[in-house]
Amino acid sequence: MSTGTDLWLGATTKQLIQSKAGYRRRKLSNVVMLAITGLFMLLALVPLFWIIGYVVYKGGQYINLDFFIHLPRPLGMTGGGVLNAIEGTLVLTILASLFAVPPGVLAAYYVVYKPNSLLGILVRFGTDVLSGVPSIVIGLFCYALIVKNQGHYSALAGGIALAILMLPTIIRTTEEMIKLVPHSLREGSLALGSPEWKTAISVTLPAASQGIITGILLGIARASGETAPLLFTALGNENFEVGKIIQAGVANHQNVFAILGRIIGQPVDSLPLTLWKYAQQPYPERINQSWAAALVLMILVLSINILTRVWVQVRANRMQGK
Amino acid sequence: MFTNLESSMTEEKQITPPTLHLDIAPKAETTQLSDKNKIEIREFSFFYGKFKALGNISMQIPANQITAIIGPSGCGKSTLLRSINRMNDLVPNIRMDGQIILNGENVIGSGVDVVDVRRRVGMVFQRPNPFPKSIYDNVAYGPRLYGISHRYGLDEMVYNALRQAALWDEVKDKLHQSAMALSGGQQQRLCIARALAVEPEVILMDEPASALDPVATLKIEELMQTLKETYTIIIVTHNMQQAARVSDFTAFMMIDNPKTRTGVMVEYGPTTQIFTNPKNKQTEDYVTGRFG
Repeated sequence: MSTGTDLWLGATTKQLIQSKAGYRRRKLSNVVMLAITGLFMLLALVPLFWIIGYVVYKGGQYINLDFFIHLPRPLGMTGGGVLNAIEGTLVLTILASLFAVPPGVLAAYYVVYKPNSLLGILVRFGTDVLSGVPSIVIGLFCYALIVKNQGHYSALAGGIALAILMLPTIIRTTEEMIKLVPHSLREGSLALGSPEWKTAISVTLPAASQGIITGILLGIARASGETAPLLFTALGNENFEVGKIIQAGVANHQNVFAILGRIIGQPVDSLPLTLWKYAQQPYPERINQSWAAALVLMILVLSINILTRVWVQVRANRMQGK
Repeated sequence: MFTNLESSMTEEKQITPPTLHLDIAPKAETTQLSDKNKIEIREFSFFYGKFKALGNISMQIPANQITAIIGPSGCGKSTLLRSINRMNDLVPNIRMDGQIILNGENVIGSGVDVVDVRRRVGMVFQRPNPFPKSIYDNVAYGPRLYGISHRYGLDEMVYNALRQAALWDEVKDKLHQSAMALSGGQQQRLCIARALAVEPEVILMDEPASALDPVATLKIEELMQTLKETYTIIIVTHNMQQAARVSDFTAFMMIDNPKTRTGVMVEYGPTTQIFTNPKNKQTEDYVTGRFG
C-alpha cells in the first residue's frame, strides 16, 4: 500500500509524477484537446456567419429606400417595397407582446412562489407541453377559434397565435430569473408590512427585470420569425398601410380606438410571410425582393435585441451604482 | 470613536471571561420583569410540518431594553424571532401554538392583520438587503406603502430615519445614488433606517452584524444603545461577546435532545446574571465556551 511500486512498469508514484515524459504527454494531450474544442467552435460558428453573410450579400443588392417606404407593385412591374410587411410585422409583434407578456410574467411569479400547489404544477407541465406544440398547430387552433368565428382573417388572430407561441419562452425564462432574486429582498419588503402584490411590483420584478426583458426578447425574436401560425390567421395583405388607415380614420373623425380596431381588424402581412410567398414565385424580381425581406427581418430582430440589451445594461449599472 | 471603542472593550473585559467573575452578584431588580413588558410569549410552540421546532417557550420581553437570544445553531432562535413578526408565515406547512402578546394583543391569532404586525415589528436581517434602488427610495419605501408622499413630509421622515440610524452624515450628499454602492456596514444601517421609517415599536435583529467587519459591527452596537431609548430591541446572535456587550436581558436556548431536536428555553434573565452567575449548568457550559 505504502511504497507505491509496480504501479506502472515498476515505477514509483514519485517517479511517475516527476518524469519528463509524463509531463510532455499531459502537455501534449492538453494542446490536442484545446485544438479539438477550438475546431468544433469554428464549425459551430460556420452556419451562423454563412447565413448572415449570404443574406447580406444577396439581400443587400436589392435593398434601397423604396423597399422600406412603398407597398408592393403589381406582378410584372419592377420596384416597389414591403412597407406592408414591415408594418405588419411590427403590429403583430406588438400585439403578441401585449397578449403574452403580462400573463406570462405573472404566471411565472405564481409558479416561483407556489411551486407545489396544484395550479403551479399544472402551469409548469402545461408550459412544457406548449413549448413542444408545432407552431402550425397553434395557427390552426387560432383559425378555428378566432378566424372562423369572426368570419375573416385579421392581425388580431395572428397576434394571438404568436402570443401563444411566445408564452412558454416568457414563462420559463421569467421563472428562472425571479428564482435568482435573493430571497432576502422579498423578505425585506414583506417585513416592512408590504403586501405581496406591492412587493412583486416594486421589488422582486424590478430586481429580475434584466433577465425578464431578455426572456421577452427571446420570445419576440422567435415569434417575429414565424410563418406557419400566420398562414391561417394574418393571411397577408399587400395593401396594408398603417399611415393610410390613420389618415382615413382622422378624415372620418373616428376616435383612437376605432382606428386601432381597424388596424388590428384586417389581415396583415409580415416579413417572414412575404419572404415565403415571394420566394415561391417565378419572377426574379420577387425572388430578389424575398432576399431583401430576409435581410430586413434579420436587421429588425437584431436591432430590437441589441438596443434593448444596451438599455437594460445601462439601467442595471445605474442600479448597482456604477 | 476611539473612546467608545475603549469603553466597550473595558465593558467586555468586565464581563468575560465569565468564570472568573462568578462571585459578582446579579442586579437586584433583575428577575422582576413584568412591570413594563412590551411582548409576552406564553407557552409558544412551533411546528414545521410534523417537526416540533420550538416547545413551550415562555418569556417576557421588557420595553426599551435590548433582549438577546443566544444558543447553538439549529436551536430555533431565528424561528422564535421570526414568529414575532409572522415572517414564518412565508414557510408552507407551519403551525403555531400558544400566544405571543404584543401590547396586549395576541399576534399569533388567526384574525390578526399580518401586514399591521409587520409594520409595528420591524426587522433587520443577517445580510444587509437594501433594495436595488436609491438610498432615498430605500428609506421611503415603507412610508410610501402607507400613502405618505412629499406633501405629507416624506423627506422629513427619510431624514429622521437616516439620522436615527446614524447614517445621515455619510449619505446626505448622495441620497439619490444607488444603495448598492454603499459599504456593507452602511447598507446594514440603511436597512435599520428603512425599518425605522415606518415607526415600529419593536425591532427584531437576526444576527445583524455577522456579515460585517469589526468596525461596522461596533457602529451597529453603538446604534442599538441609542435606539433602545425609543424602541424595544430583540437580537439573535451567535456571538456571545456581542450579547454580553449590548443586551440587558439574555435568553439561552438549546435543543431538548438530539432525537427530537425541539428548541427549548433553558434560562432567561438579566445579561449579567446569565453570563456571570447562570443558574443552569448547561447555560454555564455554553457561555464559558465549553460546548456549542
